[in-house]
Amino acid sequence: MHTLKVLSSLLKINIQMSLAYRADTIINILLNLMWLGWELLSLSIIFNNTTTIGGWGLPELVALLGVFRLVNTMMIALIWPNTEKFNQSIRDGSMDYTILQPVNSMFLVTFSRITVWRVWDLMLAAVLIAVGINMSGDLITPLQILTFILLAISGVIVIYSLWIVLIALTFWFTKFDNNVTIMQALLDSGRYPVSVYPVWLRIIVTYIIPIAVATTIPLQALRGDLNLTNIITFAGIGIISLVVATRVWKSGLKRYSGASS
Amino acid sequence: MLKIFQRLWQVNWAEQWQYRANLIMYLLYWLVSPIIHLAVWTSIANANGSVSGLTANDFVTYYLLLLIVDQLTSNITIHIFAYKVQDGSLSGELVKPIHPMLTNTLVNTVAFKTIMLMGFVPVWILLAFIFRPDFSAVTLQGILLAIPAVILGFFVNFLLSGAVTSVAFWTTRVYSINEFYFAMFVLFSGQFVPLQLMPKTIQTIASYLPFQLQIYLPIQLIQNKLSPTEIMQSFLVGVIWLIVSVILFNRVWREGIKRYSAVGA
Repeated sequence: MHTLKVLSSLLKINIQMSLAYRADTIINILLNLMWLGWELLSLSIIFNNTTTIGGWGLPELVALLGVFRLVNTMMIALIWPNTEKFNQSIRDGSMDYTILQPVNSMFLVTFSRITVWRVWDLMLAAVLIAVGINMSGDLITPLQILTFILLAISGVIVIYSLWIVLIALTFWFTKFDNNVTIMQALLDSGRYPVSVYPVWLRIIVTYIIPIAVATTIPLQALRGDLNLTNIITFAGIGIISLVVATRVWKSGLKRYSGASS
Repeated sequence: MLKIFQRLWQVNWAEQWQYRANLIMYLLYWLVSPIIHLAVWTSIANANGSVSGLTANDFVTYYLLLLIVDQLTSNITIHIFAYKVQDGSLSGELVKPIHPMLTNTLVNTVAFKTIMLMGFVPVWILLAFIFRPDFSAVTLQGILLAIPAVILGFFVNFLLSGAVTSVAFWTTRVYSINEFYFAMFVLFSGQFVPLQLMPKTIQTIASYLPFQLQIYLPIQLIQNKLSPTEIMQSFLVGVIWLIVSVILFNRVWREGIKRYSAVGA
């Protein structure tokens, strides 16, 4: 309850901040629509030349684009702004004030900045997923949709946990301040099913920087490619990664000694 | 003049060298998207035999050459200049008797590219080892023709980026405008896919725009894919764009500098 209250007041602050830049918001929405047009054009170019890519058809790629945009929005609206604030607070010592608050510090560090108008992006992503599912006709059962949602949430948690580990490393290595660039760099791989990539790249984006866990895997659930063991494993990975990330965060926090002391 | 550039080089090289660890990350950022496109298109070509006459090897060579050409023709003007207008640090450069954009920014861009190339060469060799491209279509004559195309592509793009960046004198939304410019580049340069796979209208428009000078034209020249008429035509378009971009940059810069009133002054 307490956490929810904090979250709602954080949201309020962020809405007020974004209202100060209304015109920028409109420009950004237009730019975003332009990129969407480009993404759809590139899909149409691909499927003018082939019927499947890595075994997947156009409907699935549209749904995958939606899932990719979900992760991308999280990157832009949550991960980047909070990482910037966090890195700054480690450098100048203002992290002190965050720790002094009677709220879970990990929660406060990861949710204090939210680019709220990106909610629009989430709706767009949901539409793309719905259109993709609709295009593939009645091949999909409600159960598959359910596992898809479950694994998408689990995938997002994996990305969130990786982010926490990456920024927590700053407690040990203060100069490590381009901590999340590596996630951003590999993010584009989420646009296509991992089955098209060479093995080494597939290993990197599945196990090391697991973009695919949040993009390809949920889509595989939607296609009915996964059996029960797979589903339980991937849902379990989400929970385990969050537990590990919390541990890493806590032991990192113990090393924090302020910037001036 | 030579002495000025020498000194600028020392300063800018030192500045960029300071951030070499960040540059490695930047390099990674740069590499991933062409490698993804390479993987996507080779997988399509392998599944269907070929794509509109392009084999898997054509895509491998295209994107491996793209990595080199893109490194050479791109610039970072928006990132190293726009903020100076916004925070007022441009004032210090304006009192010097040299053009800030055409000397300092240009040298800084070249220093940045040199350091990037140092990291890039071993990575490229590794990629060539992984993907095993067949470069038999590449000839010395093609490479010699590509050199002026790369130089042309770099300067046209540098001047146009300079003009776009100079919009910072009018508005803080210069980054949005630059994003639009970049989207045009992605669409018309051949960055996503060899232009011959694009819809016909886009191909026609692209052949009259400056963006293909940066990617598509040099790659096609290196691989000897163009007829003499096409080569003549492309270079003609390139030279016209060079003239246009010189004029455009000068006008925007001159009007912009009049509007500049330093922050905090």
